[in-house]
Amino acid sequence: MLGLATFLKSQGFLVFSAYDSVYGISLAHREKVNLIILDLGLPAGGGFYVLDNLKHSVDTNTIPVIILTAKQEKELEDKAYQMGVSAYMHKPFEPKELAAKIRELLENG
Amino acid sequence: MNKKVMKKKNNHNNAEKDLRLVLQELKDNPYRKFNLAFSLMSIIPLLVFFYILAAKLFTFHILVGDIGFMLLICILISICGFCLGYGIIRSALNKVLFYAAQAKHSDELKSIFVASVSHELKNPLSAVKTNLFNFLEGLLGQINDEQKKVVQLLYNITERMGRLVNELLDLHKIEAGMVGLKRELCNIADVLEKQAEELENMLSLKKIRLIKEILNRDLFVWADRDSLHQVVNNLLSNAIKYTPEGKSITLKAYFVDGYVRLEFIDNAQNIPPEKINKIFDKFQRLDETKEGTGLGLAIAKDIVESHKGKVWVEPLCREGNKFVVVLPCDLRSSKR
Repeated sequence: MLGLATFLKSQGFLVFSAYDSVYGISLAHREKVNLIILDLGLPAGGGFYVLDNLKHSVDTNTIPVIILTAKQEKELEDKAYQMGVSAYMHKPFEPKELAAKIRELLENG
Repeated sequence: MNKKVMKKKNNHNNAEKDLRLVLQELKDNPYRKFNLAFSLMSIIPLLVFFYILAAKLFTFHILVGDIGFMLLICILISICGFCLGYGIIRSALNKVLFYAAQAKHSDELKSIFVASVSHELKNPLSAVKTNLFNFLEGLLGQINDEQKKVVQLLYNITERMGRLVNELLDLHKIEAGMVGLKRELCNIADVLEKQAEELENMLSLKKIRLIKEILNRDLFVWADRDSLHQVVNNLLSNAIKYTPEGKSITLKAYFVDGYVRLEFIDNAQNIPPEKINKIFDKFQRLDETKEGTGLGLAIAKDIVESHKGKVWVEPLCREGNKFVVVLPCDLRSSKR
């Protein structure tokens, strides 16, 4: 999402964007990122496919993941937490809240 | 886009497949039970027939004279009744099963609708909101004050649309019975305190004093905690919204005969008598200039009623209104 990347860059973060699941997984492995913001409605597999891959790889299983989604089913949120995500946020979100959550997770991690 | 269409088509096909399965499943079992019951019941006239036969057999008058004629007529009527009754009940049962399957099908379509509306509306709203925020913060180049005003206005409208979508979906889910209430023992006193804390900003912004009269600190009810928070939040924020600056709001909570009674007493203008009955309807707003979607009270009412409670409003003598919520303490035995 172009707007989100622009906002996060303005907050001083280095941002890599992926527009589908497969590219997202390869990017997470290649760039050694500190945190991942993941949408559940991603093309080519979906967010849970990415999450499953990330959590089953020794290189990426400790990276905190924030789910940012427009889906509002409670079961998806429960499933995401069971799979080990650090935070779950709903769209439309408050940009400042997201930035605060990212900082909190990076400081704690 | 094609994938989305295919996904929707698949969902539709799945729903149709389920419909057929449900029909088949319902068709098999109750018919078997029904046939068995009917066969057992048909033994009764047979027994009567054999009783009369046994009683009259030795006299050889069984089919002779008035009694014999009446007996034959009875047997004929029984056979006709059996065939006719079987046909009528079978077709009635068919209709019931068909409507039951249709209701299930429409529930599934509702779920698909909620999920897709949620996704299709919130995603673009989120993109618009984030980019407007970027404009406001000057991340996409500096904008002058005039432009900033317009962008701020658009940002506020987007926020309001986001709230409206959320509340519409909440209301739809409650009305369609799609919200699973997780009932647990909740202390309403704690819920009130937490919501008062959460709305502290709104209160201080309008310099409104919140008077809490919660005499009993153990106001336990068997209810869904999140839903209770939503009810209190909606009613309290509504009171804050309509109470003029510098005035006060009184919050009361106490036990009455196995019920917990909550009172939200504001200092707003009296609700006109013609609006008293409509105030909990969807999109009803007393003052169009106030921020809000007009769904908060409707959601509160639906939640309270789903807990077998009641909510109403009473205008006070001079100024102000009293919103009352009554919730039964123990709901464990009742089903929704």
